[in-house]
Amino acid sequence: MSALSTALRRRISTLVAVVGLGALAGCSGVTYAETPLPTTAAPRPSSSAPPVAAPTCTNATQSYDPLPSLPSRDQITDPTMRDSIIKRGYLVVGVSADTYLFGARNAFTGGIEGFDIDMSRAVAKAIFGDPNKVQLRVITAGDRIPLLKDREVDMVARNMSMTCGRWNDIAFSAEYYRSGQKVLISKSLLADDKNAGSWGLADLKGKRVCAPAGTTSLTKLQQVQGPVVVTAATHTGCLVLLQQGKADAITGDDTVLAGLAAQDPNTVITSAKAITVEPYGLGLNKADTYLARYVNRVIADLEADGQWKAIYNRWLAGPLGPAPAPPTPVYGR
Amino acid sequence: MSAPTTNIPVAIPAAGSSGTPAAQQPRTIAGSLSGGVPGARGIAGRLLHGTPGRMRLFGLLGVIAAVLLGAVSANALLASQAAVERAANNTAQVVRAQSIHVDLLRDDAVATNAFLVGGLESPDSRARYEGAMARVASGIAKAAAAQPADGTALGALAERVQVYAALVEQARSNNRLGLPVGAQYLTQASAGLRADAIPIVEQVVKANEQRSQKEFDRSNSSLQLLVGVVSLIGLVAIAVWLARRTHRYLNASLTGAIALLLVALFVTATTITGIGTATRDVSRGDFQSAVTLADVTTAANDARANESLTLIKRGSGQANETSWKTDKSAVDTDLARLASSARLTSLWGAYVDAHVKVRELDNGGRWDEAVKLSTSGTSAGAAKTFDDFDVAVTQARDDAAKATVTSLNGLGGSAPLIAVVVALAALAASWLITRGIGQRIEEYR
Repeated sequence: MSALSTALRRRISTLVAVVGLGALAGCSGVTYAETPLPTTAAPRPSSSAPPVAAPTCTNATQSYDPLPSLPSRDQITDPTMRDSIIKRGYLVVGVSADTYLFGARNAFTGGIEGFDIDMSRAVAKAIFGDPNKVQLRVITAGDRIPLLKDREVDMVARNMSMTCGRWNDIAFSAEYYRSGQKVLISKSLLADDKNAGSWGLADLKGKRVCAPAGTTSLTKLQQVQGPVVVTAATHTGCLVLLQQGKADAITGDDTVLAGLAAQDPNTVITSAKAITVEPYGLGLNKADTYLARYVNRVIADLEADGQWKAIYNRWLAGPLGPAPAPPTPVYGR
Repeated sequence: MSAPTTNIPVAIPAAGSSGTPAAQQPRTIAGSLSGGVPGARGIAGRLLHGTPGRMRLFGLLGVIAAVLLGAVSANALLASQAAVERAANNTAQVVRAQSIHVDLLRDDAVATNAFLVGGLESPDSRARYEGAMARVASGIAKAAAAQPADGTALGALAERVQVYAALVEQARSNNRLGLPVGAQYLTQASAGLRADAIPIVEQVVKANEQRSQKEFDRSNSSLQLLVGVVSLIGLVAIAVWLARRTHRYLNASLTGAIALLLVALFVTATTITGIGTATRDVSRGDFQSAVTLADVTTAANDARANESLTLIKRGSGQANETSWKTDKSAVDTDLARLASSARLTSLWGAYVDAHVKVRELDNGGRWDEAVKLSTSGTSAGAAKTFDDFDVAVTQARDDAAKATVTSLNGLGGSAPLIAVVVALAALAASWLITRGIGQRIEEYR
């Protein structure tokens, strides 16, 4: 019997050892679930709204008669000019900061400069006697009409085409510059087809063509069969897409394209003729007819005393040659 | 304690045996028992027969109870210590991810502000950008090594950071040439950073905060000790049964065993509760401050980048100014929650004053002066006041983070030693139980 109890003891000792070891191994490692990645919304398909038939009229460039002469500040009784602009002490103008030569930020000085900026300063100088009494507010093309309607800006000087459709929402000054829509392509297209250098929009079949949202260039592009429409917020945004290989070509006004081509030697403006006529006007609130007449007087004076040509030559003589005659204003609206 | 690793490959049965399966006798457990160990049942029956048999059975149960108590206690101690260690590791990972978050926003604040100045960026701001970028790169590598579960997320983050850095460089080289497309690249870089990279960092921070919290909760594993209490009650019941059966009230060995186990259980429970309480204090104290201070730093740097972006957008930066206000209220709320934040609050207030002046100037049409104030290194300038705050808050956060990890690492250091002692005590108790019952069996005969 004692032999049995010894056996029992031995068995128990073994059991103890086994359980003890199991206990020590019991505190096993913890494994964590993998850190989840944030869920991202699927990219929205680029807006390819069906082209809306543009309202037609024959007097898109027709503006209001200019004032006979520039009144002094004290003589202005128009409530908009007197109570908002003159009382504030400066003019608020919506401009572009990335349309090279027309309205662009100078990377060295930080200032915004170009043809449109000089036009804005001329208006400020007429009102306040100081070209610096102007607040340049950088806006996108799509912002132009909403900001004018909401009176967030007094005026828009941002290579804006006068169209019949836009006359329904806002007012324009007289035409101060005439441009036309052309196409800029990546030089890589030339490698595939030698004739690409003379392509128009209709020839860019299956190619991705970029235009800024809210522009007449985009409307025109959407009316053409063949190209794949890509949009960006600005023309420079289009250039970034082209440089990143997400667009093959950009369409826009020749002046804007000249500014883009000057920034990237790997692009070229095709020799195809301009497909539209783009008369540029300064955008104003629809109700501000007095301001429109005032601005028209300023523009007429600039054109008469040679300042318009001086501004043109300062910015555009390099890429586009010496200044032509200024566009003929149409009044009588 | 790491899980045992076995690298022995699973044996693959030989394919040859599949040829004649029907010819072999099926082997069953019953069959092998009846034929394999002859008389096993007989021995068991004899051992457990009568009162001595019952004593043997209870002796065995008593030993099992003692071992169980020892095992559970040692396991709970080691689990507590391991949980604290993991909590410290997870906390360190939270700090790492938050540092990446801050440095990314700092990069963006420096890059956008340098852009605002115009012309060539100063060597100082370039050096600060590169320093923050280098910290981001090494931080991602360290974080990925520290927590494999974050690997995929950090991989995606590294990819996005690379895209960001490439866009900033493109913006910079275009800017050096005076081309406006540079500004577009910078805008794209900033937008992409906030839309793609920052959400991943935030996800990593959140996941590791949750892991830390889980380990803080696990560090108090005293619930396991209920098993030990039940074992102890079982042993007392056996002692009472034995006393009634043999009419000998005190069994020195058995009583000693019970006393030993009681002490072991008590020591275990106090140690674990101590670790749990200390951990909770750390999690509510230093850890919470470290997290809050990191939130302050990120929100402040985001605010600073938004100030620059508002100015860069020249009157169309209303969305960025709104973001600035959101960041400001986040900083204010967090600073109010912190104890002894008076110095930080006053430094932050100085920057807020400078920002308000910047906005007044810009809204008043004096953009040039607004930019000058925003980038000014003079005592009232936004750049100087912000840098002072940034340096102070980063220092405070680093201190709190270091204190958290140090105090967590100091906790539970004695737990493994106590676990060994408790395990040995349980073994000694098993021996005492066997001896005490054996004594009674001898006497019974």
